[in-house]
Amino acid sequence: MRKIILLIIVSICILFVSVFIWPKFINPFNLDDTGSQIIFSIRLPRVIVSILMGSALGVSGAILQGLLRNPLADPYILGISSGATLTAAAGLIFGKIIFGLFTIPLLAFIGAISTGIAVGIMGYKRGGLLPERLLLAGIGIGFLFSSILMLLMSISADEGLKRAMLWIFGDLSMADWSLIPYGLIFIFAGFLLSIWRVKGLNALILGDEIAYSLGFSPFKERLILFISVGLMTASSVSLGGVVGFIGLLIPHIIRFFVGSDCRFLLPLSALVGGTFLCMADTIGRTIVSPTEIPAGIITAIIGAPYFLYLLRKREIMGV
Amino acid sequence: MGILDLKKISFSYNRKGFIKDLSISVNGGEFIGLLGANGSGKSTLLKLSAGILAPQMGEINLWNKPLHQYKGKDRAKLLSYLPQMLDINVPFRVRELVSMGLYPYDILPQLSPEEAIKMVGLGEKTDSFITELSGGERRRVFIAMTLLQGAGILLLDEPLANLDIKYQIELIRLLRNLRDIKNISVVMALHDINMAFQFDCVYIVKDGMLIASGEPHEIIASELLKDAFDIDVTISDIFHPLKPLK
Repeated sequence: MRKIILLIIVSICILFVSVFIWPKFINPFNLDDTGSQIIFSIRLPRVIVSILMGSALGVSGAILQGLLRNPLADPYILGISSGATLTAAAGLIFGKIIFGLFTIPLLAFIGAISTGIAVGIMGYKRGGLLPERLLLAGIGIGFLFSSILMLLMSISADEGLKRAMLWIFGDLSMADWSLIPYGLIFIFAGFLLSIWRVKGLNALILGDEIAYSLGFSPFKERLILFISVGLMTASSVSLGGVVGFIGLLIPHIIRFFVGSDCRFLLPLSALVGGTFLCMADTIGRTIVSPTEIPAGIITAIIGAPYFLYLLRKREIMGV
Repeated sequence: MGILDLKKISFSYNRKGFIKDLSISVNGGEFIGLLGANGSGKSTLLKLSAGILAPQMGEINLWNKPLHQYKGKDRAKLLSYLPQMLDINVPFRVRELVSMGLYPYDILPQLSPEEAIKMVGLGEKTDSFITELSGGERRRVFIAMTLLQGAGILLLDEPLANLDIKYQIELIRLLRNLRDIKNISVVMALHDINMAFQFDCVYIVKDGMLIASGEPHEIIASELLKDAFDIDVTISDIFHPLKPLK
């Protein structure tokens, strides 16, 4: 319990620093016009986007590692990110800008959701969503879409496409208020779904037969959780592209501290995932300012060594 | 009419018939051992009884109502199943895992997770990670979860596998105590013929069919057992650790 309170306090401090202190200190109690302009139009939306994305990725990773019973699972393993990237890129090449500012995120969202559905259909056999089939389908579809994307990129000289690629690979600098309400709704809906079925997730980790014996329908539980992951991952990719590391490693790190009970693991993965991405983004836009380092690079540079250190000391999912 | 009735069920994984026209009735407080060689159909029979597999023919009734008509939670309060393979790679703590036995319930039951853990002799490991325990200890953790689930019928697939002899005997004792106090019924797949003496009734399964049933002393001596296991059986009247309980 003490650890959880400590985590919450640290998170609040990091958020405060990100909004008011870095890269330039702005006194929240003595705001002038420029100060409030910077905070409300630039920093606040960016901080909110990073929290939303990080939380969605952290929870999705935690769910998928349990759902697929595989410590290597992360939100992108189901091919959702490749789907998002491909539709965004293809849309830009063939259809150009249709919905203005919303074009890339909307295309990415459509791609992500349809990839999720395709993987779900491929993973369905004999009345159940089988973990191994879902994994293999995700990897197969991911490879297919990535290679089509490579093909598109090699035959296209479009400048807009290049920009879209940068955005898709994790660039939070475009964050503004316009997308936040949509991201918030979908991510929150996905999160609520997962919390609603959290006992089913715990039971599924013990195996489908035990989950059944405890009164759950493995197919129904897995389907609802799969939808929840699809919503959260698709929204996260649409908000700011593909940020690695968080979905794979944050859930493992949380397990070290609070154990594996998903009733604690999911909310804390959201909290720490969100805070961590926010912190990484703040560092990325500060240390070599005015040049920005993409948040995904910072998350990996800080997080991976820490994760490796933990791996030396403890076991991860039994290995 | 028993509390769990399998009436003339048939089931096959693919075209080939596997369980053929099989009927079993489990009564309240009954202690049933399923004996049979590997691949004889014991596990399939238990999965059918638990509702995990659905028979292609015949019907299964739980308390006189078709098993498939139960809602998951309602069924879980009456019937629980523990598979043979317990493969878990997520480091749950013992207490967390055992507590999942309470999932079918909205109100707190008579038994607490701690008590269930003590019953299987793991009181000192309540806060250990399951991934740090031995195979036998893990099995006991799952058994504690099943006990906490508190169903009246326990379907256990080879629960004695990889348990030390001490815990094999203690588990049988524990289940028999529960039978005496709460009138639970137990159906247990076995492959150790010696353990069959601890049951009220033994069924021999071969090629998906029941080839014999009755009291262990009659069954073990019969030619049919030799047939089922393809071995010679000699009964010697040696002291058996559990015999005094009989």
